[in-house]
Amino acid sequence: MFDLLRRYRRQILISGFILAALLFYSANLRRGGASTLFERAVLQVTAPMQSALDVVWKGAADTWTHYLWLIDAGYENDRLLAENRVLTSELMQVREVRLANERLRKLLDFKAEVDLITLPAQVISEDASSWFRTVVIDKGSDDGVLEGMPVVVAEGVVGRTIRVAADQSRVLLITDASSAVASLIQKNRTRGICRGLGANLTLDFALRLEDIAVGDLIVTSGTGGVFPKGLTIGHVDEVSPVEYGLFQPVSVKPTVDFSRLEEVLVLLRESP
Amino acid sequence: MRIFCYALFGLVGLLIQTAVFPRIFPFYLKPDLILILIVYLGVSEKCGPGGLFSFGLGLLNDVFAGSAFGMYGMIFLLVFFGVRSTISYFNAENPFLLLFLVLCGTLFQSGLLVLLGTFAEAGALWQIVLHHLPGQLLMNGVSAAVLMIIATYLQKRFFRLVVPGLQRLDERYDD
Repeated sequence: MFDLLRRYRRQILISGFILAALLFYSANLRRGGASTLFERAVLQVTAPMQSALDVVWKGAADTWTHYLWLIDAGYENDRLLAENRVLTSELMQVREVRLANERLRKLLDFKAEVDLITLPAQVISEDASSWFRTVVIDKGSDDGVLEGMPVVVAEGVVGRTIRVAADQSRVLLITDASSAVASLIQKNRTRGICRGLGANLTLDFALRLEDIAVGDLIVTSGTGGVFPKGLTIGHVDEVSPVEYGLFQPVSVKPTVDFSRLEEVLVLLRESP
Repeated sequence: MRIFCYALFGLVGLLIQTAVFPRIFPFYLKPDLILILIVYLGVSEKCGPGGLFSFGLGLLNDVFAGSAFGMYGMIFLLVFFGVRSTISYFNAENPFLLLFLVLCGTLFQSGLLVLLGTFAEAGALWQIVLHHLPGQLLMNGVSAAVLMIIATYLQKRFFRLVVPGLQRLDERYDD
């Protein structure tokens, strides 16, 4: 028997190890995935060493790649700078497109509200002098624009066309001194004429006894023959009460920001 | 060639005034390059061709400014003749002559605008003119000075280059 064991000692030992491992494995499978004490202990002991080794290795690698092996750094830097410039430029373009989109969306909403045929146009230049308030738009008689047509934006009235060429038109802004718009105060229907004063407007012929307050909305009355009724002109900015006379002086601030006029709508009388 | 250069300067000046200056200068104020050209014409050109050219430039300006066609034609013609009739009283050697005349021309133009504006139902144009006049004087004065510096520098730097019309400043007494 002992001779047999001695003779097959090696094979028996190997088989015993394999069987033990199998049993150990089988027993662990039954216990589920929980960590054994052995595992925890080993991990606990080896973790600081692993960390230290990792720091050292990373430090060495970092030193090598950032301070010693710099053959590609210059090219990489140039490439990233160029990429940064391109991305910055694209970002600016996207911002501009977003702003244009917002403006056009407002204009489209307004177009849906207005029960008239409208023609979108771009403002391409302004008046040559400092004294008058006109702008040039990129739509003309070829697009159906005629002289005297109202021009508006979502915020309110812009002006009316005074000169029309084939592809361009000049628009007299309501803030020009020669502009006059038949208007009324929305709250109490007080009538008047809004005249341009360069930056602001003045409401002429507003009766002295009418109740007009700062902030009142001024809209077109529709009686002037140019602008349809109900378009926003501005808000009352200042009222100067007077003791005598027929009318009271009223200053009006236009709702349209004329210094930032880019896209406008021409209200056509008939289809182009 | 001289007339062509004047016309080119006028056209380019108008395009700059309508398309470039509004993006640069705030509060609707912008230098009046055409007025500076008209004053220069008054200093250097004879009555006949100068007057005709000033009127033409005024009409061109009317296409881009205001709502009453012909107003600037009239104004620029009067400014030209105003400069032409007073130029012999001034010292032609003074380098500030053109600057002074541009300032006087700006004041004269403003007065004419208010006067002629009453015929064109221009409303409260006088209020706008009065409000912007100091700024306009400053703008025109600085612009005239800058243009003169550039023109004289070009003539000195490129001595073979003759800016058409500019050399006539000293020849007007030959008439």
